[in-house]
Amino acid sequence: MFKYFHLTKLQWQGILRWSLYGLLTLLVLLLQTVVLSQLPVWGAKLTPLPALIVCVCVREGPEKGGLYALLASLLWCLSGADYGNLSLAVIPVGAMLSAVLCRAVLTLRFLPTALCCLAVTLANAAVIFVFKLILPPTIALENLWRVLLPGAALSMAFVPLHYLLVKLISRIGVRDAL
Amino acid sequence: MKKHLSAKTKWLIVASILLAGLMTVTAATNRGRPGESLVQTALTPFRSAASALVRQIERYYDYVFRYESLQAENDALKKQILTMEEDVRSADSLQRENERLHQLLGMLEEHEDWVPASAYIIAWEDSSWRSAFTIGKGTNSGIHEGMVAVTEYNQVVGLVTAAGPNWATVTTVLDSALGISATVASTGYNGVVEGALATGSQGLLRMNYLPTDSVLRNNDQVLTTGSTVYPRGLIIGYITDADFDQTGVAKYALLRPAADFDDLEQVFIITDYENQ
Repeated sequence: MFKYFHLTKLQWQGILRWSLYGLLTLLVLLLQTVVLSQLPVWGAKLTPLPALIVCVCVREGPEKGGLYALLASLLWCLSGADYGNLSLAVIPVGAMLSAVLCRAVLTLRFLPTALCCLAVTLANAAVIFVFKLILPPTIALENLWRVLLPGAALSMAFVPLHYLLVKLISRIGVRDAL
Repeated sequence: MKKHLSAKTKWLIVASILLAGLMTVTAATNRGRPGESLVQTALTPFRSAASALVRQIERYYDYVFRYESLQAENDALKKQILTMEEDVRSADSLQRENERLHQLLGMLEEHEDWVPASAYIIAWEDSSWRSAFTIGKGTNSGIHEGMVAVTEYNQVVGLVTAAGPNWATVTTVLDSALGISATVASTGYNGVVEGALATGSQGLLRMNYLPTDSVLRNNDQVLTTGSTVYPRGLIIGYITDADFDQTGVAKYALLRPAADFDDLEQVFIITDYENQ
């Protein structure tokens, strides 16, 4: 079958790996917009998608992972996300910087990845919050500690699952490459 | 760390920022992000399926875990129905009179001209700063921007703010972006109702620009005054609190929305009505 499409086994595994990342992204997007958006915790809606994007980008590196981060953020933005235009800049840049930071200074282990996820989720929420503070209809500053910080912190509950799934998917094709 | 930033990574960072800028500019000029309708249309079947699955799970959960409480509630409701049936029998004559008065007031005629389209909610806005949801019907079913969404009890839910072939976004009355011209049913005081999210009162509405000498009571009903967008007489909410605003020259009231947003599954979009 591989020969029929003029592709090597490694290339097929690469396609499978990225298809699984895509499927995971779609599932998390649906979870976020269909389920979690109806269940605010202390007024904050949980957004696990930025953390997933960071996990994939850190695992796959700033180049391939960066392109994935850009496309996933574009999907989120075009699915009707509030201030998605800002997320389109903040999340891919944050994810790529996280990937570079983890490879250069930190490691690809869970804790550095989780910290990067928290930093990018917080940065994304904070940038949107600043714009919401300035542009009408404006929101109250007290929402910073009432909604933003708990929302970002609670969104981290999904990071262990993201990390595990991304780690499993990233193994596809690696053994053959080595 | 600088050496780890390859040329490709730098290009991707620049591309992200440029794309974000491009999206912002086109969204500001063309009323919508380019490609948004396409992505929303493609996502609608997935969202509909996921939403239907969630509803099924909720029903199963209710059946398994709330069976006893539902049975107790059912017994209590049966007793209540018996009492109410007795009340209805005695109120029958009053009801007929009431109906005639309604006809005299033109209320029924006003509602007969409505052309509603029912739709199920398939996704909710994931931002903590907005209150909106997506429905599984759009322009193919005659739903367009600027149409009002209501419940089966004539309670205002929100306004259609974006629409595609098989989807539409409804911004709810809880969102601070909407402003509805409203009146207090019992006293006739007029004001503008907005979502109180911006003031830190989530899940409530705020009625602004009320006269300083206005007398407001708890549970007073607030209705739409009628405009080119909102038909007259729709129920917006009930007063829960009132005070002077920051300027001191007007009063405001906090309202509990009439529509139950926690259990909202289906809405009706008024696709046409005669503006009287």
